[in-house]
Amino acid sequence: MRVHVRPLRARSAIALGLLTAAAVLLPATSAFAGVIAPEGGGSPNADAIRQLYLIIFGLGCIVFFGVGGLFLVTIYRYRARKGAVPAQIHGNTRLEIGWTLGAAALLVVIAVVTFIKLPTIENPPNSGATGLPVTSNGSFIAQGASQNLPPNGKSLAIDVNGQQYVWRYTYADNDKINLNNVFAYQEMVVPINTTVTLSIRSQDVAHSWWIPKLGGKFDAIPGYTNYTWFKISKPGLYRGQCAELCGRNHANMTAQVRAVTPTQFEAWYANQKQNIIAADKLAAVQRTALNAQAARLAARAKVQNAAANAGTSTTIAPAAAAAAAGKTLFVAGNPATGALACGACHTLSAAGTAGQTGPNLDNVLKGKPSSFVLSSIVNPSKNIAKGYADHIMPNTYGKTLTKNQIADLVTYIDTSVNGK
Amino acid sequence: MATTQTAPAPAVSAVPEIVAHGVERPGSGWISWLTTTDHKRIGLMYMVASWIFLIVGGVEALLIRLQLSQADNTLISPQTYNALFTMHGTTMVFLFLMPMIAGIGNYLIPLMIGARDMAFPRLNALSFWLFIAGGLVFYGSVLFSPPECGWTCYAPLSETTYSPTGGVDAFIYLVHLTGIASFLGALNFFVTIANMRAPGMGWGRMPLFVWTMLTQAILLIISIPVVAAAVTLLLTDRHFGTHFYDPTNGGSPLLWQHLFWFFGHPEVYILVLPGFGIISEILPVFSRKPIFGYKAIAAATLGIAFIGSLVWAHHMFTTPLPYAVLVFFSLMTFLVAIPTGVKIFNWIATMWRGTIEFRVPMLFACGFLGTFLLGGVTGIFLAVFPVDWQLQDTYFVVAHFHYTIIGGAVFPIFAGIYYWFPKFSGRMLSEGMGKTSFWLMLVGFWTTFLVQHSMGLSGMPRRVYEYADVGHLQLYNEISTVGSFILALGIFVTLVNVLRSVRNGAVAGPDPWQANTLEWFTTSPPPVNNFDTVPRVRSVEPMKDIRRQIARQSRELAGSSARADS
Repeated sequence: MRVHVRPLRARSAIALGLLTAAAVLLPATSAFAGVIAPEGGGSPNADAIRQLYLIIFGLGCIVFFGVGGLFLVTIYRYRARKGAVPAQIHGNTRLEIGWTLGAAALLVVIAVVTFIKLPTIENPPNSGATGLPVTSNGSFIAQGASQNLPPNGKSLAIDVNGQQYVWRYTYADNDKINLNNVFAYQEMVVPINTTVTLSIRSQDVAHSWWIPKLGGKFDAIPGYTNYTWFKISKPGLYRGQCAELCGRNHANMTAQVRAVTPTQFEAWYANQKQNIIAADKLAAVQRTALNAQAARLAARAKVQNAAANAGTSTTIAPAAAAAAAGKTLFVAGNPATGALACGACHTLSAAGTAGQTGPNLDNVLKGKPSSFVLSSIVNPSKNIAKGYADHIMPNTYGKTLTKNQIADLVTYIDTSVNGK
Repeated sequence: MATTQTAPAPAVSAVPEIVAHGVERPGSGWISWLTTTDHKRIGLMYMVASWIFLIVGGVEALLIRLQLSQADNTLISPQTYNALFTMHGTTMVFLFLMPMIAGIGNYLIPLMIGARDMAFPRLNALSFWLFIAGGLVFYGSVLFSPPECGWTCYAPLSETTYSPTGGVDAFIYLVHLTGIASFLGALNFFVTIANMRAPGMGWGRMPLFVWTMLTQAILLIISIPVVAAAVTLLLTDRHFGTHFYDPTNGGSPLLWQHLFWFFGHPEVYILVLPGFGIISEILPVFSRKPIFGYKAIAAATLGIAFIGSLVWAHHMFTTPLPYAVLVFFSLMTFLVAIPTGVKIFNWIATMWRGTIEFRVPMLFACGFLGTFLLGGVTGIFLAVFPVDWQLQDTYFVVAHFHYTIIGGAVFPIFAGIYYWFPKFSGRMLSEGMGKTSFWLMLVGFWTTFLVQHSMGLSGMPRRVYEYADVGHLQLYNEISTVGSFILALGIFVTLVNVLRSVRNGAVAGPDPWQANTLEWFTTSPPPVNNFDTVPRVRSVEPMKDIRRQIARQSRELAGSSARADS
């Protein structure tokens, strides 16, 4: 049996679809970013993705309004009415082959357009003439070769490291040591008209790097390195946030890129470098002083212990020695085993630290027994201070510190807060 | 009381091929439900239990929407919020949709193919009780610490270092228990369909719903063992010192993503293909036309399943994958659109030149077509990997998969409930309440999810417990929240409709819709043995043949009596 398709109806449905699609598409300029199209305007790759999106959006509208229109015409026109007789049609091979090929053809068009647009999205261009003159070869130290680089091989390379719940940016320099590089957290400062290549990594769970106006998102997967790039032409602030569930504070893992002129960038970079050198020096001085103090006290305690054993006198000096050793650990941590300094995140007036990442110990440990202090160090998830998320503090102190070190630390913190 | 009764001889003989002689009287009381192996009772228990989980998962969804209705809202803590979306997703996939489909299939497959029961009735009961056990284990975690890693449970976030509580373990056992239930159920469906069809019902005369359930069974048999392996590796990582997903010891977090999505993408088709089958049954009945292109629809079902098993990495376009892999999975995803498009055209052609009666099942089928169409179109956006880089893990994706899953599975399930409720209970559902429910659900759904595309395009990632009011984000979220409550009200109306009609609905009779397939040949609800006689099947629409035969015979009868009178 042949289907008698009334050509006018079907055609008018498709025409209606096309018209509606055009009506929706025409205002689809940048004013509608964030409503019917992804954001762009920061970097050429974001703009190319936007253009590709809009082409597919146009085709998608034709399909949706065309097929949807045909569907609505069908259910309106062939609703049950008096005297209407349903046509007993079982199929129509030619028609079916036709729409199969039609769907395939549309997909071929989309595939071709995608591959035409792809190089602009994938491959970074050279930096502009007014951009920062980059001398390094662009690839970050100790990186793999699969990164796309500009044709002249020169770009500002930044290593993006995701961690619960902040991004750390390390800027490439010309030596092979990564420890002396300029770094920043949360806000990345970059020069305009300069191609910036990113290598994206994670040190704990999966994160995803995404600044919508600077291109698509790229997951930071621990154990892998992902790559992307951007080139900003207008100075300004470009905001984004982590796009892969990374724990309780995922929603607050924000990122922003501040684009400035190359001169401003060089000033910021030099300033940052100086600050880091100064801070390193200060920490080194403090570490030496504290180590010396701990050694002195330990020696004195040894003497007094010997005296105590001899039955002459009892003192509380061992506690003082323990407290001094504890202070060293508190301020400097134990770099050998990777135990971070408590003071890096916690405020404790006695130690002179002012970290804001974790709760203020002067407040939260007030009046708490030493057992509470101990459990908070080795098992931080047990008691979470109000207003803070779980898993911010490493739960590895039980492994990275020895039993004696932990005991010293507990003594020190307990004495400092509760003055026993 | 006699334990057997003799089947009465049918009034009009339809060339009986199989005749039942002795039938056990159905048991009553709750013990008989606990111990039953009757596919109809198991099917009903599946459906009732999954409705309970639908309500729980729905309340979780409403809490999520409440929290997001205001920017920077502090109603729900981040910990609770993460638990809520994890429970919502997992519940809807594993504890509502999969068992609901298993329930509908259980009840209908033997009836549609003219069988006495499933091939392995006791295995069937085991499947049901394993599903219940999985649900209980999972919801047991609410009393301690529910999982917070999302239904995708990505490593290393799900490893003990970052998720030390037992919530993830509850998730693992949920996947195992419901997985075994689904796997055994799938084997059962496959064997039943392959071996127990009525005489004359060749592969080319099987109802299209049976074709989709057969295809779904194959997909389950392929994909369930893979996710079982994935969660087993996670279990040993968490408790027995292995490092499969731990990058610091040579493991790979991407391994989890590959294994999970090798199951996770076919899972989408496991949920929507039976929906397609339900639609393919309902459209011809209410258009009073045969299905357009039976073979093409059956072939498209198999095609979707085959291609759909080879597209999993399109969930991973933003991970560090080689370029060739991105291109392959992008093009394979394009290919899925072809058989899906074929089906949509065939459905529209089925209605073309018919006489469409807008009863409630047909309304839901139409709601499915329009809604799923948009889900399919946005799927093309996501298949283009550079575009996906902007859309992945945003509310655009959330909108897309709700359009495909609610559009492609939930609307058909509701169509199926309204269509087959007379068979399940012997009574009709109220048309008025059904229409109210449909329009509330349709309007509520589109209000909730259409605007979510724009949220994603404005830069809102999924799975965030709060957001800053940048641009129009708060307005979008308010609209979405209002919509979600309208949708929930629509579902509630159907629930009330079902509860009322079980006792008070109009009596349906064996075939209230003048339908095409064999389940309408027996009484409503069917007796324990389903059929006293099973007719020989001569086409895809055996009931149409039988009605014609009866009409012819009664004409002949009338003619002969008229001759006798004269």
